[in-house]
Amino acid sequence: MQSRRDFVDLIVRAAALPGAAEFFSTWALATVQHDHSSSAAPPEPPLLRDYTPKFFAADDFEALRAFTEILIPTDDTPGAREAYCAHYIDFVLQASDSVPNVQKQWRAAMASLKDAGFHSANAKGREALMEAMSKPERDHSASHPAYAAYHLIKQENTFAFYTARAGMIEALDYKGNSYNLEFPACTHPEHHVL
Amino acid sequence: MSFDAIVVGSGACGGWAALELAKAGMKVLMLEAGSHIDQKDFHHTFLYQMDYRGHGKPGSLRGYSGTERNYRIMLDNDENPYTTAPGTVYRWIRSRCLGGRTLHWARASDRMADYEFKAVSRDGHGMNWAVSYADMKPYYDRVEGFIGVSAAMEGLPQFPDGIFQPPMPLNCAETIFTAACKSLGWPSTPRRLAQLTRMHNNRPPCHYCGNCVNGCDVGAMFSTISTTLPPALKTGNLEVRTDSVVAQVRMNKENRAQGVTYIERFTKKSVDVDAKYVILAGSTLENTRLMLLSAKGGLANSSGTLGHYMLDQIGGGSIAGILPKLKGGPSRLDDGKSGGITIPNLQNIDEKTARKDFIRGYVMNATGGQTEYPMFAASFPGYGSEWKKEIKSRYVAQARVWIAGGEMLAQKENFVEIDPDMKDHWGIPVLKIHFTHCDNDRKLIADFHEKAEELFRKAGGEIMSGLGRGGPAGFPGGPGSPDAPANPPNQPRQRPLSGVIHEVGTARMSVSPKDGVLNSFCQTHDIPNLYVFGGNAFPSTGDKHPTLTMMALTVRGCDHLIEQSKGKIS
Repeated sequence: MQSRRDFVDLIVRAAALPGAAEFFSTWALATVQHDHSSSAAPPEPPLLRDYTPKFFAADDFEALRAFTEILIPTDDTPGAREAYCAHYIDFVLQASDSVPNVQKQWRAAMASLKDAGFHSANAKGREALMEAMSKPERDHSASHPAYAAYHLIKQENTFAFYTARAGMIEALDYKGNSYNLEFPACTHPEHHVL
Repeated sequence: MSFDAIVVGSGACGGWAALELAKAGMKVLMLEAGSHIDQKDFHHTFLYQMDYRGHGKPGSLRGYSGTERNYRIMLDNDENPYTTAPGTVYRWIRSRCLGGRTLHWARASDRMADYEFKAVSRDGHGMNWAVSYADMKPYYDRVEGFIGVSAAMEGLPQFPDGIFQPPMPLNCAETIFTAACKSLGWPSTPRRLAQLTRMHNNRPPCHYCGNCVNGCDVGAMFSTISTTLPPALKTGNLEVRTDSVVAQVRMNKENRAQGVTYIERFTKKSVDVDAKYVILAGSTLENTRLMLLSAKGGLANSSGTLGHYMLDQIGGGSIAGILPKLKGGPSRLDDGKSGGITIPNLQNIDEKTARKDFIRGYVMNATGGQTEYPMFAASFPGYGSEWKKEIKSRYVAQARVWIAGGEMLAQKENFVEIDPDMKDHWGIPVLKIHFTHCDNDRKLIADFHEKAEELFRKAGGEIMSGLGRGGPAGFPGGPGSPDAPANPPNQPRQRPLSGVIHEVGTARMSVSPKDGVLNSFCQTHDIPNLYVFGGNAFPSTGDKHPTLTMMALTVRGCDHLIEQSKGKIS
């Protein structure tokens, strides 16, 4: 099982690659441009629009992108699409040469998604597959051959989303890390009694 | 050039020693192993503004205990290794830079009480401190009055009041926990923090950004560089040399410290400097390492106790979940002060509160609400819009109760020694740590979990994860902190007991030279011009965070040294 530390190591390696700064700055810009008042996606910067996956094969990348967008959809707040979660995961994984187990784990995950029929399924079929492969998460007596893939992608997609501006600020409305004249004390009488 | 005093280290104690001695007119040299750093180097940065979302440039942080935000104020473990004995589970979290750990400490500033200083008189374990609360009170007053501590007066004998600024307000979760404490008959108070709520000594009040562990950009929280160093430098009596790794205390033929030898960090050139007084203030275990390195059998070790009785308060306990009352509420600036409430120790304070199954006690903290990253989200079942809404709904209702200071019992077999087989980047032999917990420590942490759950349930809380999470972001064990647990939330798992970066002991104070290394002024019994400031003197941990007491001991020791330098005492 890939650990958070492994993933962090990958992020670190990704940063060393040629083009890292360009990639990340484009990506950061894209996450900032989203208009909170609208669920419309921000305009995609050219680098992301024309992004060529470096780690995943084209069909795997397309499947991953669809998978992340089902996990965290765009609704009244941005989702994985606006946060470019799949791009982030791909960019990080391409730097995983020295962690072959992690690369292997992700390739196995994508293979199991393919075996489960996710790649070839239409939107409705993908929703149904997601429902089935996530069942062991809610029902410990259940199993699914692609559950490990579901779990892995969900872990990293969640990290990618909630550390992006789209997730942290626009979806969760995080208020910290700011300059404030005072700390807002609790003003709710009902909180002072049980 | 010879100095009146050399101060090794620039953390809480080094900064105070430099200030007190320079103010007294002594010519002081401060040696810091790490780099110069300035308040201007600290910034507010969101994770998404960093290319690597807090994880740093490729390979650059592998050896660090910190994150991209604060690794510069931490230490490179590859350059500064240590070893542990078989069976020892201990992470020695350190800083090397001007200001040391004061740049990222939790700022908790609680006075110890006589039931801690004199606990042995009650339960017979270990050795009483060579000071009482009456000895310490004037120095607590001086330190608090200068650094600024925001807190509320409570009138509790086990939690002595002091010289306080107004406390920080409580957020909603803390208010609910306070109500729960009242209902249980437990005392509670806003966490006492060396963090200003009013302008003080030309330092501005806190602006509630919550970035405390990454270095305060305005100096509202106490640190050497914001508080003690500026006035010390203003005297004109202090010279600071950074990137100077002290390797040894040199002795003369009269059994006096002659000075120190340090190695220039980048050139590796060895430099000798002399002084009338040598003050070790480079953190507890580094101080002891230097004493062990400086003489066969260790400097000032006629008692044979140098290196022994290593202690750290007990870590590894917390309960996390949500407070349903807050679920679905609006987003608020809950983590802007990295504070919380403190529930002072309830047990083994006196005969009425004595427990039969364990001795000593612990302090609890509680807080909740919004955090920078929803740690529970990745493991929370589900997906899609409903999942996303549930994450947001719970995000503002997060709640945590954690152990703030659990007293570990002193055992001689917990000790540090020089490892003959390993050297650091500068060729200086490293420490080997022998550290295990005893049954009393385990009973104490088990009792904490019972009490924490009781509090959580009284507050109406829903426990989401049992063990394995630390405090809020910025605190030991919390997200982003140097020792954040690797195990994910929602997967309860018993972590081994550990420390909380409160290592003390290894050169304990004693009334008699045969029982310890230091006297009550942190002067070595054996070498009159060698002082050791830090946690070294602690014969026991108590249940309070140690830094305030370390600083008070330093000021007290400096008063003694100044009198000694005037020839008034030996």
